[in-house]
Amino acid sequence: MVKRLSDMPEVEANHLRRIECPTYEDTPALAGKPLRERRVALISTAGLHKRGDRPFRPGDGSYRVIPAETPARDLVMSHISVNFDRTGFQQDHNVAFPIDRLRELVAEGVVGSMASVHYSFMGAFPPAAAEPHAQHLAGLLKQDGVDAALLVPV
Amino acid sequence: MGALGHFLERQGIATTGISLVREHTETIRPPRALWVTFELGRPLGIPDDPGFQRRVLRAAAELLDRTDGPLIADYPENVAEATDFTGWACPINLAPASVDTLAAEIDRLATWHDQAVARTGRTTIGVSGLDMPAAGALLSSALQGDLPMAQALKEAVDDLRAYYLESASAFPDPGSPAMRKAWLWDETRFGKALLDLQPKLAASADPQHKILANLTLIPATERHRLAKT
Repeated sequence: MVKRLSDMPEVEANHLRRIECPTYEDTPALAGKPLRERRVALISTAGLHKRGDRPFRPGDGSYRVIPAETPARDLVMSHISVNFDRTGFQQDHNVAFPIDRLRELVAEGVVGSMASVHYSFMGAFPPAAAEPHAQHLAGLLKQDGVDAALLVPV
Repeated sequence: MGALGHFLERQGIATTGISLVREHTETIRPPRALWVTFELGRPLGIPDDPGFQRRVLRAAAELLDRTDGPLIADYPENVAEATDFTGWACPINLAPASVDTLAAEIDRLATWHDQAVARTGRTTIGVSGLDMPAAGALLSSALQGDLPMAQALKEAVDDLRAYYLESASAFPDPGSPAMRKAWLWDETRFGKALLDLQPKLAASADPQHKILANLTLIPATERHRLAKT
């Protein structure tokens, strides 16, 4: 079980310590509708995309579009990092991109609805490279009626 | 990951997310995060366990009702440790032999890969656009000193890595994912090829080759093997 970095194998912990994390002024958490009325989009940073879409490259801060109806067999992962497990995703895409689980939460009435389109970035992006794409993405999410995003790392 | 929380929330989209590395999230301070203790690459915890995954996702989603961010909530469930290697042996002979080649190894795995695809209904191969013999040929020619563009090589290698690990998941006694990864590095021509390729890429004048050599070819956990080759 992974806990804090101090509990991890040294080589993995050192790799993670070397990753520079950006800092920001605190962003106020927006108030909104109750969850059962929200329309939610999944936003992964696993470098996912449909087979045939442009693979991610080093420094790439852009996103790829994953329509909600995308069959699991069409999903591939081109994250540049080799320092995370991919066998879980190979076995079951939902362990990294829980689209079927979100669909179930909507069916149960826990979540209001799910976006018609979901998205993936590739998490090794320099934040400054991703910011303009994220700002543009916010407008697209609003056009889809989305009022909440569920961010899933890898 | 957490940076996206700032970017989107500032544009009027409420965000919540999963955190795999608490220290990173404590620095970035996104509006809302659910910290989980799962392995990197498995943010929902356990493959093929919809109930477990649904509980994690629901816990993350329910944080949207809170406005007291930046907040990090601790997810209470853990995933049991993987079992160790005891008793597991590679069920087919893929040990390097003097007459063997990477191409032959790739060919030999094809039937296992077919089994894996038949079982899961999918493959995650398909980033490079190459079939596996062609991806292997690209790697072989790189080893001969004919280095292709770094991106093409990276995509071919990632597809091959998926091919090997998906194939091994269909072995009669597939062991755990950790065992299959150890098999890839300990026992396959492919693993040896990557270790042999690393110094050639590191010595290239092309900075993209150097990035591949130093960061994105060999996992941090396997780099100790480089000194031995």
